[in-house]
Parts: sequence; C-alpha cells; structure tokens
Amino acid sequence: MMKNKFTTFIFMGFLLIFSILNIVLPPTEISLSERRRLHLFSDLEIRELLTGDFLEDFDQAALDQFFLREQFRRLKAIIDGKLFHKTDNNDIIVIGDSAYKLDYPLNTESVTRFTELLHTITALYAQDNPVYFAMIPDKNYYVDPGPDFLTMDYEKLEQLLAEQLEDITIIDLTDTLSLDDYYHTDPHWKQENLDMVVARLQEAMGMETDFSQIAYKAEQYAPFYGAYYGQSALNLAADTLTYRISEVMKDVIVTNFEYRGDPDKAPGVYETDKLDSMDSYDVFLSGSTPLITLENPNSTTDKELVIFRDSFASSLTPLLIEEYQKITLIDIRYVSHEIIGDYVDFGDSEILFLYSTLVINHSEILK
Amino acid sequence: MLFSSISFLYYFLPIVLVAYFAVPYRWKNLVLLLSSLGFYFFGEPQYTIILIFSTIVDYTHSLVIEKKRGQPAAKAALISSIVLNLSILGFFKYADFFIRNINAVFSTDFPLLHLSLPLGISFFTFQTMSYTIDVYRNEASIQRNPLGLATYITLFPQLVAGPIVRYRTVANEINDRTHSFDLFAYGVRRFAIGLAKKVLIANQLGELYQITLQTDNPTVLFYWIGAIAFSLQIYFDFSGYSDMAIGLGRIFGFHFLENFNYPYISKSVSEFWRRWHISLGTWFKDYLYIPLGGNRGSTLIWFRNIFIVWFLTGFWHGANWNFIFWGLYFGILLILEKAILQRILNRLPKLVQHAYVILIVVLGFVIFNNEDLGVIVQTFQGMFGGLHLPFANAETIYYLRSYAVVILIAVIGATPLMNNLVHRGTKDRVAEKWINFFEPIFLIALLLIVTGYLVDSSFNPFLYFRF
Repeated sequence: MMKNKFTTFIFMGFLLIFSILNIVLPPTEISLSERRRLHLFSDLEIRELLTGDFLEDFDQAALDQFFLREQFRRLKAIIDGKLFHKTDNNDIIVIGDSAYKLDYPLNTESVTRFTELLHTITALYAQDNPVYFAMIPDKNYYVDPGPDFLTMDYEKLEQLLAEQLEDITIIDLTDTLSLDDYYHTDPHWKQENLDMVVARLQEAMGMETDFSQIAYKAEQYAPFYGAYYGQSALNLAADTLTYRISEVMKDVIVTNFEYRGDPDKAPGVYETDKLDSMDSYDVFLSGSTPLITLENPNSTTDKELVIFRDSFASSLTPLLIEEYQKITLIDIRYVSHEIIGDYVDFGDSEILFLYSTLVINHSEILK
Repeated sequence: MLFSSISFLYYFLPIVLVAYFAVPYRWKNLVLLLSSLGFYFFGEPQYTIILIFSTIVDYTHSLVIEKKRGQPAAKAALISSIVLNLSILGFFKYADFFIRNINAVFSTDFPLLHLSLPLGISFFTFQTMSYTIDVYRNEASIQRNPLGLATYITLFPQLVAGPIVRYRTVANEINDRTHSFDLFAYGVRRFAIGLAKKVLIANQLGELYQITLQTDNPTVLFYWIGAIAFSLQIYFDFSGYSDMAIGLGRIFGFHFLENFNYPYISKSVSEFWRRWHISLGTWFKDYLYIPLGGNRGSTLIWFRNIFIVWFLTGFWHGANWNFIFWGLYFGILLILEKAILQRILNRLPKLVQHAYVILIVVLGFVIFNNEDLGVIVQTFQGMFGGLHLPFANAETIYYLRSYAVVILIAVIGATPLMNNLVHRGTKDRVAEKWINFFEPIFLIALLLIVTGYLVDSSFNPFLYFRF
C-alpha cells in the first residue's frame, strides 16, 4: 500500500537526517538560553564502557548536542502550554509577556537558617555597628495568586523575619516596589525604578544625601534577554536594560577581589563588556562575585557601608555611593562568612543585610 | 538503553535499521544478535555475561532434553535448567531479601550482598524457561542453531521489559520471516504511539506523582491525585513500552502477542488481570497454575493454587514484602470474586462495577509503589481522611489545574475510544482517505514533539526496568 511505503520512507528519512546532522555538526559548548555549559561527547574509554558510565555520558551529550535543540525546547514549551494547558513549563509561568518562576512553598527551615546566619555574622563582626535588614520581594510578591499561580506565603515569611530579627532594624521595601519595577524576562529589579527603594533606605538609615537631586545619564542596552527567557524556552519580548551613570560614579574606584592581580581588569561601576555576555545583568558591578568594594574619592564623609547581599544589590549599590566613602559588598554564596573577616575591616561601618526572598527561601546556598 | 532516549532513537536505532535491511537475509539474525548484545552491553556491561550464560544453559539443556526425550535424563535436564535459571534470578534479585528476613527472624547479622539487579533479568529468565519447558513438553520444536536461540533470547525489542515472548510465538519467525512495507509501517505506528504514551503521558503523570510526594502541604485530594496519577502513569509507561516493543518486533518481522488490552475498562478484578500484563499472566497460568492443577479438584485446592500463583506474581515484581502483599491482595480478591463477589457484581450497574475495579486497582498500586509499609498505611490514611488533613488547598488546586488536560487525555487514552473512532473511520471511504493522508504527518508530528520533550527533560526513567 502506498501509505505504508510513505510511512516507512518518511520515518527512516526523519531518523537518518537527524542522526547524520547530530553526528556531523560541530558541538556546541554553551547554552546561552540556559546559561550553562553543555555536555560534550567524550572519547570512548574501555574503563568507562565497562562501568556503564560511557552510556550515561553519551546520553547526556546526545541530549545537549541535539540538532536544533533550542527549537525543540521551544516546541515542548508550546505543546505544554497550548495542548496540555499546563500552567508552568519547568516551573516558569508566563503571564502576558512576563515570566515568573514558581518558588513554592515557603521553606520555614530555610528562613530560620537564614536569620541564624545573620545573627552569627552580626555577633562575629558587627556587635557595635548599626545593623539593618531589608527583604527584597521577588516579583511573584506582586502577582495576584489564583488557580493559575502559586506563591509562597509572604505574610508568614515577613512575620517570621520580624520575629527572628528583633534585634536588627528591619527596613520594609515592599510598598516601594510594584510589578512594573521588574524585568519581564528576568527575576531582577530595574535600576531605573529604584528611586523609592533608595528613598526608603535613606530614611531608615539616616543618609544625608538628597538622592533626588542627583543627575543621572541613562544608558540603554537592548535586547536584554533575562534568565527566565531561556528557561521558559518561549519567544518572549525582550527587555531593555538601563543603567544610570552619575558624575560621582565615574570617579568611583571599584575593586573586585576576583580580579586582583590582573592589571587589565579595572571594570568600574558598570562593566559594559558584560552586556554581550551570557547574562547582561552582570553589567552591574561585574555580576556575581564574592567581594567587591566601591571607593568614592569625592565623598565628603568617612562613612562606610558593608552590604551582605545577593545579585539584586549589584544594581542598587551604585545609587547609594554618593553617601559613602566606601561600600563593601559581600556575597556569602561564594565565600564563607567565617573567613570574610580576613578580608574586610568592619570598623564602625554600617551593616546592611539586603536579600531577596529567592535567597531567603533557599538559604542553603549561603555559606 | 531506554527506547525513549535520544541515544536509542537517533543513534542506535537508525544504525541497526540500516545494517539490518542492508545485509542479505541469512545475516539478519546475526545483525539482530549483535545489536541486541550491544544494546544490553551499553546499559549493563558487567552483566552481559549472565545473559550469554543463560542462553548457553538453555541451548545445551534443550539439546539433552531432545536427545533423551522420554527418558529420566530429559526430566533431569529440564529440572537442571529451571534450577539454574531460577538460581541466577534468585541470587541477584532475592538474596538480600532473604538475608534481611533471616537476620530479622533469627537475630543474625549476615552481611547484605548489595548486588545491582541485572537489567531485565526477570523477563529474560522467564522467556528462557518457557523455551526449555516448551521443548520438554514437545510444544515447541528445538532450535538447533545456537545463533537462532541467542537471537530469540536477546532480541532487544523485548529484552529488558517484555512482553515475555514465548519461544513458540516466534519459533517460526526466528528461522523464516518476511519483511514488508506493511509490517514496517505498522511497526512505526505502534512504536511512535508507544513512545508518545511513555514520553508525553507517563512521564508527565510521573512528574505530577512526584509533586504529590514532595509536597509539604498534603491534602486528601493530593493523596488521591498522587494515587490516580501513579496508576495511570504505570499503565502508560508499561503499555507504552509494550507498544514500542511490539512495533519494533514488527519492523524486524516478528509478531509478538499483545500485552495490554485496556485493563482500566474492566468490570472485575479477574477481567483486569486478563487485560493487564497479559504475557506474565499467561506465563504463570501455563507454567504454574495449570501444572498445579488449576481449577480442577476441590475448591480448597483451586484457591490454594490461586494463592500460590499470586504470591509468586507479587514476588516476581520485586524482592520486598509490599510486592508480596500486593500479589496476595489480588489473589484474595480473585478468590473472593470467584467465591461470591462476582455474582454480586453482576447484579450491579456497569458503572459501579467499573468504579469497583478502578478503586481496587488504585489502592493496589499504593501497595505496589511503596516498599515502606508505614508509608502505605499513611497513604491510605491520607486518602480516607485519617490524617485529618484539609480536603484541598491552593497548591492542590494549582497542580490539579495544571495537569487536568494530561489526566483527561490519560483517562480517555486508557479506554478504546480513540481506537474505535479510527477503526470506524477506516470503514468509511472518505474518512479512510483522510486518515491515510494524515497518519504519516501525525506520526512525524508525534516524533517531533516527543523529541522536544526528550531534549528538554532529563526525567525519563522506565518504571519496569528493574523488575
């Protein structure tokens, strides 16, 4: 029968075309959309063959190196949404043009571990310093929960933090932000929308600078595809990334302790080379790094600030530099809090713990 | 190697298909044998020797049986073959179970062996035993060509997860089989549909089941969703694998028997087991139940036979007490049905009969799926309100909403509705033309979508691989 011949040839053709393309095309080393290194085919070794490890590695590489991999991931995301009507794909929920990551439920043990860590750090380094804590709500905070959306119990989170951080001054940022202040395709907040956040910090921490009088020049980068863009695998509209430059910022001396010893690395407040990297958000203070300092030679005060932080602080900190002679940023996701005293002199610095709910709910990543 | 892996679909299978159809007919069994050994070796290199040993045992013993037919030596050879096969299975699968229980009963401290279970050992052991027994009973002709027997035992489409293909089913085709576009296309259809059942339905139900297990906020509804999701998952997983095996077999010219026949439409537990894992049920019936006497003799003997068969059916599925309880649970229900329940069921509306089977099966899979007896009790408590949980919460509603279509497709797919529609369509000339036109497109679309899911996901274990 003609149909059976056709089915046979089309099936064989389909398998063979993809097989041959998979074999002959050069390997891809990095997935930009997923921001990770892809598995590569390894050489055949007898020992690995005999232990079964070879097939395991081969399976991983075959998945990662598949021809049109991104398009196939997109096809899956579309079928998940349009055919199966699933509310999320790989925990990414898309509403309109915005992507959100499911972070559910509230992990109370994580919150307790987090607050205990803050107490430990305070006891170690900042017994006599003014200490502040500000929770950065992730953007799910501002989405109305319903049958198609699931959010952690933020009310309980705030209650737990208030109970467990009684001896630390808590700064409430929740009413200074709204959904519009976050990128559509990324978890982070937009630097250009942080005026109210800065004002709230100024008020709570007694800063003397009138931030509203600072003139910024706004530089823009587009298209900016955030972290959730790749994870969603869908063709979401890109964001525009804006970073603000003031006259004072131009003179700020930035020391990234990961770059020490490399005279060519003097990135400044904004490392614009990073705009075209895997994560354009790394333009702010060079992205993830354990320890970085900003020194303001134009400062009229000798005030210093130490911020224990996650990535949200990278875009906020430049906006605070006018107030301080020095700001030190410590990211204990990448360096243990136990050894940070070897590198940082806390003196009489103000201490700000600035963490997003995403980290507070997964505090196992803090060292 | 999993059928539903990129490695199999886009590396192993095309190479084997090209090699198989490129060589002259007399070499086809050799290509199949080498492919099958390679298939097994890549997944389980250290145990390939067991597969080869098992083949040699059955080949040599069957020769003795044939040569000494009618003499005590033939029976001795049969017993020797069965003992050797069951010893291998017992050693690798059940040694630690017995050691654990001996230690528990006699307060001894024998160390556990911690052996990993050779892939598909339960399946290929039963297959090889069926060959020797059939030869002894003169129900199958002996395979004198070692290549032919090895091809049958190692045949990769059904090697690691069934169906349990008995030698007599494919005896003629091992020696002489035909290949055609009709067979190939039928095989492609079955394979693609099985693959979609596994990847698009079973894996997603597996995700849902895992979510219900991992929740910090369980509800009564979540316990039920978990139990139902698993019951559907295991059906689509295993029947999908059987479809793929049958489809691949057909491509290579073999006709394997069906392993599933819409078990969830059954109206009694007896009927369910005539429709679920048919090859295993038939194996136990022919090689254990009937030799024990079947339903001949007194009612007590009959029930004893059912009890033994279901004890061993449960034990075959896994070396743990929950599998034994699961087997006995069905054994007792079957005895009850035969004694009294079936007569009562017959008087009830069909809907009630279906609901009875679904409930029994879903509860049964709770036993099947939890090796910890405490978890089984807790799950039952959760399902029936014994844990004083809320009926539902936001998380339950979210995931029920998210997986509603998958569950709905699974429920419809577990019935013959779609199959009947297509079958009816083929009787109408216009509809048949449309079906013929769209079928290849549909199959390729399925393959593309499945590939998308495989590429995107690393969650892809086959549930039946370790049995």
